[in-house]
Amino acid sequence: MCTTCGCGEPDLPAGTVTHHTHPPDTRRIRVERSILEENDRHAEALRKSLAERGIEAIGLLGGPGAGKTTLLEATLARLGSEAASQAAVEGDCAGDRDARRVAARGARVVQVVTGAVCHLDAHLVGHALEDLDLAGVTRLWIENVGNLVCPAPFACGETRRVVLVSTAEGDDKPEKYPAMIAAADLLVITKIDLLPHVDFEPDRCTAAARVVRPDLPVFRLSARTGEGMDAWLRWLGESPGEGRA
Amino acid sequence: MHEAKLCLSLIDLAETHLRRAGGERIAAMRLEVGDLCGVIPEALEAAFPICASGTRAENAALHIYRTQGRNLVLRDMEIV
Repeated sequence: MCTTCGCGEPDLPAGTVTHHTHPPDTRRIRVERSILEENDRHAEALRKSLAERGIEAIGLLGGPGAGKTTLLEATLARLGSEAASQAAVEGDCAGDRDARRVAARGARVVQVVTGAVCHLDAHLVGHALEDLDLAGVTRLWIENVGNLVCPAPFACGETRRVVLVSTAEGDDKPEKYPAMIAAADLLVITKIDLLPHVDFEPDRCTAAARVVRPDLPVFRLSARTGEGMDAWLRWLGESPGEGRA
Repeated sequence: MHEAKLCLSLIDLAETHLRRAGGERIAAMRLEVGDLCGVIPEALEAAFPICASGTRAENAALHIYRTQGRNLVLRDMEIV
């Protein structure tokens, strides 16, 4: 704090002659409020109302092509008839391709078309759920717009957030997008079936993520081959033996 | 470019507190932007004059200071 006028600006270096000035008729008021708090409030209300209905919300986040929808498809396939207890909000800038893909696996889906908007927020998700029958649903998937930057600060009512990085994207992604890693509860390295063909070192990816979040769990899997899917299903609280392959 | 939207939230929040304090307009505001909050300070600065146009924060000085962590907090304001 500035000790000359007590205004909260940093002190000027010793020996500085002129001090900053304030316009004579202004006064300073303290606010100390997060500008994300309105979204946070919506997100918390959403999380609470879902929890009261026994629904866990899992956020899927990652760049375009990280494999979010493919992981969801593979998960639904493993859940077999249980897929009917899953619902999904699919966020995309245009089209309903993801919604159709996920619906084809037996989940209830609503597509949110964001247009030029680069992320979902709690308000958008809340309204999207008005179009979804959640009776009998135990898990809601919230697949954000493919983007490693913008969705990070906007909670959408998720219980847990999963960030996906594919081997095709590069192992430096956690280092380059730390805000997204900071917002994650789990990092999933996807498309590990491609490892023989790409310069991706899973250990380097994990280490970069743990610079930001030392305790972050990291899974490696391939939705295409099924490798690593058991650990993912256990993390979700599902028994890997359930359903059909 | 989610910064424009956050700028609108910032101005909403600032105007709410201006009204509570019985002020006329905002001369300056001081915003803490954490390095992990997912916001680029330069993009906020670029969006601010456009978002503030026609509001009580028009022509206000936006002072951004960077910290570590996920904070995105309006610390205080100078009001008239």
